[in-house]
Amino acid sequence: MFRLNTLRTASRQVQTVARRGYADVAASDVLKLSLALPHQTLFESSIVTQVNVPGANGEFGILANHVPIVEQLKPGVVQITESNGNVKEFFVSGGFATVQPGSTLSITAIEAFEPTSFSVESIKTQLAEAQKNVNSSDEAVAAEAAIQVEVLEALQAIAK
Amino acid sequence: MFSRLSNSAARSATLQSRNYATLRDIETRLKSIKNIEKITNTMKIVASTRLGKADRAKTTARVYIANDREVYSHAETAPVEAEQKSNLLIVMSSDKGLCGSIHSQIAKAARLRTAELQGQTVDIVAIGDKVKAQLNRTHSSNLVLAFNGIGKETPTFSDAALISDEILKLGKEYTNVEVFYNKFATSVSFEPTKASVYDAKSIEESPALSQYELDQDAKVPETLAEYSLANAIYAGLADGYAAEISARRNAMDNASKNAGDMISKYSILYNRTRQAVITNELVDIITGASSLD
Repeated sequence: MFRLNTLRTASRQVQTVARRGYADVAASDVLKLSLALPHQTLFESSIVTQVNVPGANGEFGILANHVPIVEQLKPGVVQITESNGNVKEFFVSGGFATVQPGSTLSITAIEAFEPTSFSVESIKTQLAEAQKNVNSSDEAVAAEAAIQVEVLEALQAIAK
Repeated sequence: MFSRLSNSAARSATLQSRNYATLRDIETRLKSIKNIEKITNTMKIVASTRLGKADRAKTTARVYIANDREVYSHAETAPVEAEQKSNLLIVMSSDKGLCGSIHSQIAKAARLRTAELQGQTVDIVAIGDKVKAQLNRTHSSNLVLAFNGIGKETPTFSDAALISDEILKLGKEYTNVEVFYNKFATSVSFEPTKASVYDAKSIEESPALSQYELDQDAKVPETLAEYSLANAIYAGLADGYAAEISARRNAMDNASKNAGDMISKYSILYNRTRQAVITNELVDIITGASSLD
C-alpha cells in the first residue's frame, strides 16, 4: 500500500514536470489498461508500462501516448508489463483492442487464460478433431473448424 | 385458482346456517394459504441464492460494455441519417413470471418507442416468452423474431452470440438498432433502459473517427459492429437477469408476508368459529337437558 502511494505521488510528480516542459501535450504519460471479459474483469483502469497485443495485422506493443487505434485481435498472447515490472500473460481467443485518446487502452476479449493453464494433450486431440472437420462438405461446419484450428494452432505454439 | 375461491365462497354462503361446513371451509382455506406461503418462501430463497451470481455477472458485464462503448463515445458515433429509416428494437426479458412488473414495464417502454417512431419501419425482436406474448397482442405485425429459454441460468456470452447471429441472419439492414432491457438500479428498483447499437456505416461515418487508426480494408467497422451487437445483447441480458431475479425476490418476499398476514387472520377466525360451534352445542345440550326436568 505504502509502496503504491509513493509510486503514485512519484508518477504525479513526473507528470507535472512533463507538463511544464511540454505545455501543449495534455495527455498523461501513463498507460491505463482495461482488460474486460464478459464474465470477468482482469484489469480495470490499471496503470501499466507496456502491453503487447496480437493484432490481426501482426503483433504490436503499446506504450503510453500511443496513437489512437482500433484493432481486431487474433488468437494469441496479450503480454502486460505492469508498472512494478511484473509481466503477466493471457491467451485470448479474439476480440478488440482500442487505444482511446489520452492513453487509455481497452481490450475486450471473450475468453482469456494464462498460458500455463492449458493442457497440451487436450489441445492435441481437439486440434486433430478440428482438422478432420476442416474439409467437411457442410460449409458451416468447415468454417467453424477453420476457426478452431486457428485458435488451437496458436495455443499449441504457446502451451508448455 | 380464482374460480376455486369463488366456488368455496358460494358454498359457504349456502351453508352459512351449518357451522360445521364453514369451519371445514376455513380449515381448507387456511391449509391452502399455508401451502402457498411455503411455495413463495421457497421461490424467494431460490431467488436470493441466485442473486449473488446474477449481481456479479451484471457488474462484470457493465465493465465489459463500458470498454466496448468507449470508442463510440470518443468517435461521436450516431445513427446515420437516411431518407428511409428502418428501426430494429431488441426487447429483452424472460420466460418466467412472478417477478412484479418487470415484463410489462419493458413491453411498455418498447410500445412507447414504437409510437415515437410512427411512420418509419419498426421491427421488433422479442427475447423471452413473456415479453413476446405482451408485444404480440399490440404489435404482432412488427414482431420479426422471438427467442425463449433465456433467463433460466445466468446469461453467457454464447447465448448473446447465438441471438445476434440469428438477428444478422435476417439479412435486413437497419439504420437504427436499439436494445431494450431492465437496468438493475437498486435491490428494490429497476429501470427500463435503451442502448443504441451502431452498424458499420454509422461507425465509418462517425465525425471524430479520423483520430483513430483503423484498417478499413480488413472490414474492421463491419466486424466491430457485429461484435458490439453481441456485446450489447450480452450486457442487456446480464443486467436484465439481475433485475429480474431481484424483482422476483422482492415479489416473493411480499407474497410470503401477505400469506403470513392471511394465515394469522384465518387462524383467529378458525378458532373463533370453533369456539362458537362448541358454545352452540353446549347451549343445545343444556337447553335439551333442562327441558327434560
